[in-house]
Amino acid sequence: MPTKQTFAEVFQSRGISRRDFLKFCSLTSVSLGLAPALLPKVIHAMETKPRTPVIWLHGLECTCCTESFIRSSHPVMADILFNMISLDYDDTLSAAAGHQLEDVRSKIMKEYNGKYILAVEGNIPLKDDGVYCMTGGNSFLNVVKEVAAGAAAVVAWGACASFGCVQNAHPNPTGAVPIDKVIKDKPIVKVPGCPPISEVMTGVITHFHTFGTLPELDRMGRPKAFYATRIHDKCYRRAFYDAGMFVRGFDEESTRKGWCLYKMGCKGPTTYNSCSKIQWNEGTSFPIGSGHPCIGCSEPGFWDKGPFYTRLADVSFLGTDTTADQIGMVAVGAAAAGAAAHAAVTAVKKKNDKETEK
Amino acid sequence: MGRIIEEIYVWRLPVRFYHWINALSIVVLMVTGLYIASPVLNPPPGEAVWQHNFVMWRYVHYCIAFVFIGNFLYRLYYALLSDDEYAKFGGFRPWSPAWWGEPFKEQVASYLFLRKDEPNYVGHNPVAALAHFIFIFCGSTFMILTGLAMYGENRPGSFVETAFGWLLPIFGSSYNLHFAHHVMAWIFPLYVIVHLYAVFRHDVVDRTSVTSSIITGYKHKVEDEHSL
Repeated sequence: MPTKQTFAEVFQSRGISRRDFLKFCSLTSVSLGLAPALLPKVIHAMETKPRTPVIWLHGLECTCCTESFIRSSHPVMADILFNMISLDYDDTLSAAAGHQLEDVRSKIMKEYNGKYILAVEGNIPLKDDGVYCMTGGNSFLNVVKEVAAGAAAVVAWGACASFGCVQNAHPNPTGAVPIDKVIKDKPIVKVPGCPPISEVMTGVITHFHTFGTLPELDRMGRPKAFYATRIHDKCYRRAFYDAGMFVRGFDEESTRKGWCLYKMGCKGPTTYNSCSKIQWNEGTSFPIGSGHPCIGCSEPGFWDKGPFYTRLADVSFLGTDTTADQIGMVAVGAAAAGAAAHAAVTAVKKKNDKETEK
Repeated sequence: MGRIIEEIYVWRLPVRFYHWINALSIVVLMVTGLYIASPVLNPPPGEAVWQHNFVMWRYVHYCIAFVFIGNFLYRLYYALLSDDEYAKFGGFRPWSPAWWGEPFKEQVASYLFLRKDEPNYVGHNPVAALAHFIFIFCGSTFMILTGLAMYGENRPGSFVETAFGWLLPIFGSSYNLHFAHHVMAWIFPLYVIVHLYAVFRHDVVDRTSVTSSIITGYKHKVEDEHSL
């Protein structure tokens, strides 16, 4: 295997000027939330460090993370980031297939032992020894364990690998679990979303390449730079929310006026992601921007969190057909009725007692 | 009717203040909370940036929530550090089997009409103490902790977020936290009904003036006299 090129060399070989290279570096530092003083460090790393080898595994998933990743869209970053991470093994994107490809994987694992990044897309079915997901004649469970053993860090791409997605929604027939239930001894960075935003994905890799460590993570193991605030906090429709101007039906005038989708079941207020900041596809739009409520795809267990078009207050309670509010009101009514009945019994008893006294 | 034979000063001013501030904040928090969960008022006319109709509901909810929290902490402080015997929860010992013994059983039996006489207590009876502990102490603690965790979400990195954000992973997600807060809120109206009924009933049955005691502070012992 040839010596890995540095990022700067890749840029040069693709005919991109040093000026554009520096622009890219500053853009990356900004998107990672770094202080300007750290820019030289980023540039230095890009110029001197060989590209980080990445082994990208696909488990029980729909490949939407890959679809998103290959659309990483900042003009210069686009295909360059894709090349520069040195994606040495990815069974979906590689030209090679079969034994050839599997040989590459074992070669990287040997040569870069303890240095490569393992990127996992999709989750791992555990039921019946993991037979519900087989790759290259082996169960995905075994493959992940094998590759993770020599990895410097693990990146959990997407809702599947981070928290579990539609595969481990109730009743979870294959016993699918997110990656952190299987790999416990490696640093894991979760990049949830279905799919995650491409710039977020490339940003995480760039951070690792620059500093050799994972970005700062929040309590849920997500990079703080992208998952610190909710969609709601940076939503361009927030003014409508604060004003109390809500869309009440998709065929209403308020929908055309672009009012807040809170009452349409928007999960923006409980969803941590960067959609309302970075947006999608070169900053074209994001679900709320297109008039659709957020479904909270980067939150744990979002498939099981009630209907997508229903606000939390109208969500059914504990698998019943009634909402928590209806049950609450019935309980309060029952308490009132109980109190009335108890009062009646008390009155009767008192009357009887008085009569027996006489 | 009966003659007042003893007047006991049970609820001192701090306890009465606590009670009424607590009662009012629970009402305001319940109403604003339900409104935040499902806003029903018509949208205001004009441009969104001129209006703060919905955000005011949240603002009131937050302000009163901090009043509620302060009041709750004040009550705990008063219980721990004052010399007010009736405010100290001293008799409440659910960890000891003796507490669940005769007095508790007597009180339950009385509520179930299995006894003729009504046991009488100067402070809270054991069943009332247990109900207060579950609904008011545990319920408030739950609502305060989950509420502060959600309040912290508004300002990532703030003190409140740092101090209470750990609840999010415990509940699994922000959504679960919101839902739990919403569902648990219903124990308060439930409790209010039971509480009001029990108070009025005791007033009628025992004639200890328990209802007015939370305003005046005095409970009365009445001697039964046969009507002339």
